[in-house]
Amino acid sequence: MDESPRTSEHQQWLEEFEAAARRPLAQRMKYAFIRTYKPVLDDAPFRAFDTMADYRAWCEANLPAWLGYGR
Amino acid sequence: MAAFEYRQAEEIRDVFARHGIRYLFIGKSGAILLGFPDTTQDADLFAEKSPDNCSALIVALQDLGFSLSDERASEILQGKDFVQLKNGPFDLDLVFAPDGIERFEDAWNRRVEVEHFPVCHPDDIIASKMAANRTKDRESLPRLRAFRDYWKSRH
Repeated sequence: MDESPRTSEHQQWLEEFEAAARRPLAQRMKYAFIRTYKPVLDDAPFRAFDTMADYRAWCEANLPAWLGYGR
Repeated sequence: MAAFEYRQAEEIRDVFARHGIRYLFIGKSGAILLGFPDTTQDADLFAEKSPDNCSALIVALQDLGFSLSDERASEILQGKDFVQLKNGPFDLDLVFAPDGIERFEDAWNRRVEVEHFPVCHPDDIIASKMAANRTKDRESLPRLRAFRDYWKSRH
């Protein structure tokens, strides 16, 4: 049977969703939340932005592109 | 700082409930509460931007152990759209006007409760990520959409 990579990937996701659904929430969260240092973003204890557009613009201008916060 | 833990989510839920805060888990942290198997770093909360809610939110955040000077509390009260807190027991992003969601009330009416955690409906989580349209959002959307369809088939 010839299965496209897209279908195969989707099937794998479904299996992951099923496996996650069998785990209690506390265990799912233990696996889900990780901690790694994000340069610039993690370097201030508090930031506030008037608008989401301001926040997006700040991310574009200040964060390394590889963090994925740019558009 | 250590990773965000289930017991900290419980603390948010319980302290916010005590103060009557209107909020929803949103973003990937919301999706994870719904069962989405993925990784993230911070908890993202969509809070109602009203004077009463913001006043109560400041007290609740202080109860949770966040350090908020009068100046910072005032910024939250003034109605910022986005506040990033990294000065407490865990990192927290407060979003008061997420991209892609018109009104808090609409999202509140569509919310999903998971173990008494109020969570944005997966359609709203996807709508906000589509509207934000960051690289990391575009990367996560196909799998998140597949999860939304799976979740709907079970609810």
